[in-house]
Amino acid sequence: MNNKARGFFGERPLPTVEMEPQVLRRRTRRDLLLFGAGTLAGLAGAGSLLPQSPRESWLLNSALRIDDDVAEALYSENRSVPTYTKSQITELKNNYNGATPDPGYIPGWHLVLDGLASGVSIALDIRSLVTRFSIHEQITRLVCVEGWSAIAWWAGLRFDGMIRAYPPISQAKWVRVESTVNLDASGNPDPYYVSLDLATARHPQTLLATHFNGQVLTVEHGAPLRLVAPVKLGLKNVKAITRLTYVAEEPRDYWAERGYSRYDGI
Amino acid sequence: MGRSITLRKGAISASTLSEPPGVLVAKRHHLLVRWSHWLNVPILLGLILSGISIYWSSPIYQHKPDPGNGNFDVAADIGIWICAHVPGLHRYRNPPDWIYNHMSLGPGMLAPALRLHWLCAYAFMLNGAVYVIGLIAGGGWRGLLPRRADVLDGLRMLRYYLGVPYAKLSRRQWQHPRFDTKYNALQRAAYFSVPLAGCLSAATGWAIHKPIQLHWLAAIFGGFDAARVWHFWLMWVFILFVVPHVILVFADGWDTLRSMITGWSARVKRPEVRAHEQ
Repeated sequence: MNNKARGFFGERPLPTVEMEPQVLRRRTRRDLLLFGAGTLAGLAGAGSLLPQSPRESWLLNSALRIDDDVAEALYSENRSVPTYTKSQITELKNNYNGATPDPGYIPGWHLVLDGLASGVSIALDIRSLVTRFSIHEQITRLVCVEGWSAIAWWAGLRFDGMIRAYPPISQAKWVRVESTVNLDASGNPDPYYVSLDLATARHPQTLLATHFNGQVLTVEHGAPLRLVAPVKLGLKNVKAITRLTYVAEEPRDYWAERGYSRYDGI
Repeated sequence: MGRSITLRKGAISASTLSEPPGVLVAKRHHLLVRWSHWLNVPILLGLILSGISIYWSSPIYQHKPDPGNGNFDVAADIGIWICAHVPGLHRYRNPPDWIYNHMSLGPGMLAPALRLHWLCAYAFMLNGAVYVIGLIAGGGWRGLLPRRADVLDGLRMLRYYLGVPYAKLSRRQWQHPRFDTKYNALQRAAYFSVPLAGCLSAATGWAIHKPIQLHWLAAIFGGFDAARVWHFWLMWVFILFVVPHVILVFADGWDTLRSMITGWSARVKRPEVRAHEQ
């Protein structure tokens, strides 16, 4: 009767019970001790599981793995990446982790393909790439793990077209994308390599880009050929690719070895 | 649990007149509500510390680089200001990093901060689900819903709090506004909006974390960059809630703190008072 008057959303009086003062005291003491023990156990657990050496922490590794699995589950080859208009283009900074390479490598550059079904390794120069494949344009967002993003206008060949023209070994599930011209902060060679799942490589908006903002790629943006995979964080978008290797097992990844995620799907 | 209490309540009302009364206690918080409440302490701490470390790698609030030191981060400016004005900090080695050294895992900790943030973020969402289950199982959700009179009652509470220092100093009587609900209007507003802020934090977090696959979610908050701003200020909602929350719990006394640990509160009116309602 009363509850009806209050309606479904109306507040009910708290359930009460009469108890001996000693009983209340005893229960309070018991619960406080349990609470204190739980807090201490939690602190001890956190102390042994967290920081110091985060890369060896089982708990943190599991969270990262779960998060990668979630990212992989969210990915769909049929879901297209939002595209933008030319008026929405923003500035894209040169985010080479180390020094920007000297452009001297560009004239002698070629792309090596390994792990092909044919069993031979193939070297292609930029002219044969541009003439052999059709060029696609897209204006997409590049998102950096650091939190900034930029809307950029790219043109290049579809990675999928490359896979069709030079089929990988049948067991291939991954491609190792590599740049040997990458430098560290003091200008010494520091080869850059990432793992890319073939599902992402086959996405229609995953490009091997040759042009940026309507111009041929400059050395700052990875001349003459760079990866543009808008479904991945920027750190997978390798500049100045020198080699693609198709493999069955997940290859090494530069940033995963430095404590970051290995899938990096966004 | 609820059932056994009602049975005993019936037994009590039949015998209260003859026996000396014990302590009348009310079950105020469901076990799951209490657990998830306390788990929020380490989880939110982890989220905030790692979150500010993530913020460091690309601050939302930037200005043109300072020609003198190349600094562009407003948080670094604040650190420099603190070290220049707070006594004892004049010799601090790296003033631009003061905020990050004291409110985060530190500068240059992006990879560990991201891992800790994902761990705590998943824990936060799970914990939020446990909290909601506890609210439903214990019926506590009804006590959090806003009422029509809450705006006026909230202002009365605010007037009361603002008047407390003067009343204490002048040793005057200062009556706490009366209410016969579980929470007063201000508490209700806070306890209703903080879970809401939790949901928004999770939603903006996903929008930033998966801005391509969940671009519709980022669009709800005005796009990727705007979602980052939302996410940042939602953190401040928690910080600005926690400070008065902790102060007021201690001001309110042991019974309130105990009720969040044991579930029981001994601040209950005798059933005779409520008898006319039945």
